[in-house]
Amino acid sequence: MAEEMRVLLEYADKINPESADEYVKVGGYVGLEKARQMEINDLIQEVKSSGLRGRGGAGFNAGMKWSFVPKNAEIKYVVCNLDEGEPGTYKDRIICEKNAQALLEGMAICGRAIGSNQGYIYCRGEYPFTVKLLKNAIQSAKELGALGDFNIEVRMGAGAYVCGEETALIESIEGHRGEPRFKPPFPGVAGLWGVPTVVNNVETFACLPSILTKGSAWFAGIGAAKYPGTKIVTLTGDAVNTTFFEVPTDYILRDVIYKLGGGVKGGKKLKAVQVGGTSGSFIPEQNLDTQIDFDSMGAIGAALGSGAVLVLDETRDIVDIVTRISKFFEHESCGKCNPCREGTFRCREIMEKINAGKASQKDIDNLLLLTRVMQKAALCGLGQAAPFPIQSTIKHFAHEYARKIV
Amino acid sequence: MANYKDIIVGCIDKKGGIIEAFHALQNEFNYIPHEALVEAARVFGVSEAQAYGVATFYSYLSVEKRGKYIIRMCESAPCHVAGADELLKALESQLGIKVGETTSDGKFTLELTECVGQCQATPVITVNSEPVFNVTTKILPQVLAAYK
Amino acid sequence: MIKLTINGKEIQVPRGTMVLDACQQAGADIPTLCYDPDLKLAGSCRMCVVEAKGRPNLMAACVSPAENNMVIETESHDVVESRKIILELLLARHKLECHTCERDGSCKLQDYCYRYGVTDSRYAGQGPHFGMEDPNPFIKRDYDKCIMCTRCVRACEEITGAQVINVKDRGHHAKISTVFDGKLADSNCVFCGQCLMVCPVGALTSKVSAGKGRSFQTKGVLTTCTYCGTGCTFELNVKDDNVVGVTSVRDSEFSPVNKGALCVKGRFGWDFIHSPERLTTPLIKENGEFRPASWDEALNLAAEKLKGMKDKYGTDSVAMFSSARVTNEENYLAQKFARVVLGTNNIDHCASLCHSSNVAGMGAAFGSGAMTNTINDMGEDARAIFVIGSNTTENHPIIGYKIKQNVRKNGAKLIVADPHCTDLATMADVNMQFQPGTDVALLNGMMNVIITEGLLDKEFIENRTENFAALKQILEKYTPEYVEPITGVPADDIRRAARIYAESEASAICYSMGQTPYSTGTDNVKSVCNLAMLTGNVGRPGTGVNALLGQNNVQGACDMGCLPIAYQAATDSEIRDKFEKAWGLTLSAQNGLTVTQTINAAHAGQIKGLFVLGENPIVSDPDIQHVDEYLEKLECLIVQDIFLTETAQKADIVLPGLSFAEKEGTFTSTERRVQLVRKAVSGPGEAQDDWWILCELSTRMGYPMFYANAEEIFEEMRLLTPSYAGMSYARLQGSGLHWPCPTEDHPGTPILHKDIFSRGLGLFHAIEFKEPVEL
Repeated sequence: MAEEMRVLLEYADKINPESADEYVKVGGYVGLEKARQMEINDLIQEVKSSGLRGRGGAGFNAGMKWSFVPKNAEIKYVVCNLDEGEPGTYKDRIICEKNAQALLEGMAICGRAIGSNQGYIYCRGEYPFTVKLLKNAIQSAKELGALGDFNIEVRMGAGAYVCGEETALIESIEGHRGEPRFKPPFPGVAGLWGVPTVVNNVETFACLPSILTKGSAWFAGIGAAKYPGTKIVTLTGDAVNTTFFEVPTDYILRDVIYKLGGGVKGGKKLKAVQVGGTSGSFIPEQNLDTQIDFDSMGAIGAALGSGAVLVLDETRDIVDIVTRISKFFEHESCGKCNPCREGTFRCREIMEKINAGKASQKDIDNLLLLTRVMQKAALCGLGQAAPFPIQSTIKHFAHEYARKIV
Repeated sequence: MANYKDIIVGCIDKKGGIIEAFHALQNEFNYIPHEALVEAARVFGVSEAQAYGVATFYSYLSVEKRGKYIIRMCESAPCHVAGADELLKALESQLGIKVGETTSDGKFTLELTECVGQCQATPVITVNSEPVFNVTTKILPQVLAAYK
Repeated sequence: MIKLTINGKEIQVPRGTMVLDACQQAGADIPTLCYDPDLKLAGSCRMCVVEAKGRPNLMAACVSPAENNMVIETESHDVVESRKIILELLLARHKLECHTCERDGSCKLQDYCYRYGVTDSRYAGQGPHFGMEDPNPFIKRDYDKCIMCTRCVRACEEITGAQVINVKDRGHHAKISTVFDGKLADSNCVFCGQCLMVCPVGALTSKVSAGKGRSFQTKGVLTTCTYCGTGCTFELNVKDDNVVGVTSVRDSEFSPVNKGALCVKGRFGWDFIHSPERLTTPLIKENGEFRPASWDEALNLAAEKLKGMKDKYGTDSVAMFSSARVTNEENYLAQKFARVVLGTNNIDHCASLCHSSNVAGMGAAFGSGAMTNTINDMGEDARAIFVIGSNTTENHPIIGYKIKQNVRKNGAKLIVADPHCTDLATMADVNMQFQPGTDVALLNGMMNVIITEGLLDKEFIENRTENFAALKQILEKYTPEYVEPITGVPADDIRRAARIYAESEASAICYSMGQTPYSTGTDNVKSVCNLAMLTGNVGRPGTGVNALLGQNNVQGACDMGCLPIAYQAATDSEIRDKFEKAWGLTLSAQNGLTVTQTINAAHAGQIKGLFVLGENPIVSDPDIQHVDEYLEKLECLIVQDIFLTETAQKADIVLPGLSFAEKEGTFTSTERRVQLVRKAVSGPGEAQDDWWILCELSTRMGYPMFYANAEEIFEEMRLLTPSYAGMSYARLQGSGLHWPCPTEDHPGTPILHKDIFSRGLGLFHAIEFKEPVEL
């Protein structure tokens, strides 16, 4: 593990993640203290200049996002997105399990920056133990007085991938069906209960304490220039070491798999990697030397997304896996907009037909047409991204499809 | 057994917290009983149809009676490539039920789920939300035997 | 202003304009499925997507605000491709049975498939089937035709406020459902059919109209509803001289009150028009049995009988009941007939039971006994609404829906006082379930709080009212603690209600039959007037004392003079002069008998003959037994109606009139809005216009009456009725006019008592609580 760079996970397994006292002993809550002494504008500027970009997948500059929040609003909220539903992803759970206090501190720093004293953590329903951990961590921080007047409440999701989309997440906290809202208005202007709300990912918040403590220049100097910092990746599938790693963002994919991940199981050859979770594109072997930062991934038609890395060896049936993935999107479509509700269903139907060896080229054409429309016309990211695995595999692994069509 | 009204009232200070109330109800009953759904709607000031719409939206929530142990089998891509299909077949045959059903003794309900975020140890099932790691068809009988 | 280019055309729109509206302004027709101008935006159907230069994805025009320098294409390759595929996706799960679908010809899915040449779906595979029978008499739900636009869900929530449906499950399994996916009849559904009004396809249709004609086969006739006093308008759908359905008119120009929304009665309750039970020929009773008669025979007999009694027993031996159901024109003619031909002022109708307390109470306090403000005031401008003695959602559903909307959407406060726990009470900020008949005590209690806590409007009281001191004095003892044991309402609730009412910027009182038809009815009305004046809640938008009248034309029947003590009193010689001049006869200067007085007088043998036009006193009067007996005692009973009612069965002569669908005329709604009633179909058999029957009788009794049509009657009426003087059929074509409308250039008066009360100063009445004699 020598090549990892641990910033968020520096004290992993060395401190009790629930304990604010232990966190303070290793330098915790210094960043928040610093933030409190800064002018609001300076604080936002500091975060902006660190170049920290959202780790949830959209890659938007965090400080910039905060600067859009109207200053004069009476009530504002800080919301932490801990819904990580993207298959193959569990980095946010790891951050909580290793360094929960950093998340709380990060949220409080954001609260200070936008003038909010109420935070919500929306934790996916699959992590009841994390909810418990966070509640204890909040309690510990409160007892220590570390959060000042900033309150954090944990809310639990209930099994809906779409709630990772920030407006669906907000709907869910409000007690509604987790259907995304149309934007604008963006949450920064009208979010939770209609008031300005900043929604950031766990990893984004957890970066903040060290940015404040060590300075924006330090952070900006780590990893890729346009997407600085570290990234926690979770390696799954046919890698030898299916675990998590924290690496600088200029790390290349090949090193994640071969250096940290120990290569492909059983000494087999690699066929494809899917990065960013189930909504990510499939990457063929020849693109493995790409840096994992947001823009480099984008440049090869992929997306960093959540940082999940699914490794598939040479024996894997791409069409079968994409069929499974298409079922995922059918199951997780909220059903609000037509292209996604009907589109994900038909994608699964056609993929099953292809996988069963009953489809023709015409079906593939229809599928490509459908995914193009979903991508362009769906209401939210779910419907817009659901086509990526299909499109990227038809592009890079056309022969696997060709083998199955009649 | 706790009274559903008390459970719901316990969540009243959470603004918009009907989903929290549903979780609390499920912790007690393993599902959301009809009368509890109606009561939750009243307490949180939403229509019954809306409460029902919420309860049926989330895959974690159920308005149908379920068994003592709810087994959820992950079938997302990482578990899929780790042999989830095989495991599912084994689960169905060993429990003697299909997905969505409950054993006649009311002990197990079998459901499918998408990724539960434990992809370091695939395939994964959860039993009443507790993850069980690296579940192969071989160790499945042992795993199930642990639930009395 | 924002400047943008749409299909190469540069236009300017105000900031906040949605791209959809901007496109329409630029002449681009954008297809929409989930968009409804009266409902919250969903942005979900994605049919309205357009291409904005420089953006990677298409944007939904309905939810995207126009921005400066946007360059938009509305029919680009990508846009058209997306729309086509969306249509194909919808078609893939749509039960394609256009040839038998009720919405063939008025279906958006069909229209857009036609427009984009979508004949078939390449995505037709399997799909969920939601087809279901919903056993109810009104609404057919066919979810195999549903396109999940959720307009029905939004209409149910936002227009009606019933909230009985929502989306169940998610993704492709999502469907519209009631709680536990049950039947509509088992839910709180009120069958208003707003869902069916907004459904763009054939998923929700009317069972009552099923198979009777599709939109392209029917002609729409705009008219005014005949049920309650709200004054909703809609279109009757006519095919082959038959009414086959009702369609909402959603343009507020032609549907000013309801904007297309209807209740179960208005939308589905039209089948009586073609009921086989309708009277189709005059009937004469012989040996206790009715036999059909010709018009000549029946009219001659009726004229002879009436004339005979008048000659034999004197003019006041005959009485006439008119009706709050028939038109203003018919009511005008009825009272003219009574006063001129029968020579008596014994003319009344059921309003003397329900509305006379308003006339007396409000008349005394304000100088005019009618609803002071408008229905839309209560739905939009009122910041607090105090509903007392009205089960609004049941009896005036559209007004009930509007109150709910105001509470839900605008956060208006709601106070409900009623012995029953009404639907509105369940959503009220304060719900005071008081002992029946203790209205005055309750109101006095509220006023006591207002005075004690200094919440009164001193300036208003000083400048616009009189006799405040007397009221103040009697209110002293009505502390909430004193009132609590009388009314059964906790003192604190009375305090909260008083504060909400007094402190809001605009508070409206709304009441109905829970207040009026009692021995203390007039006291109740005077008390609500006291409350309104005490807090200055009169004469401004969203305030007022709003009496909701039960039937469609109570206000009109009263305005027309179908009251024994009319607005234009026969005892006033100046007024009498005016009418005598117009009608060319000497008129009785004596007030006539009310309905209840007539019944008593009949018992005493003083009333010998009765002519009932469109009323059913056997059913509608308080003492049914008593009425039954007196009808037996009459020498001659003549009933003019559209059905052989309980009262008509007692008659000696029955004259068949026309229903609202078969005639021209006007109704005056509870908010004093005069609206046109238009003929849609012919009457059954030999049934005749009610005004024609009156004219014929009159002529046969020696006072020739001739009118070419209802409009001529209206023209005569308005010359004699100052508050209607400025109205004409031409002016009433659109959204009607509120009286008073004294001149032809007067815009009508939605809000009464604006700067001055009709009587000058508003008069406070010091009213002590009295136990009502009914209890």
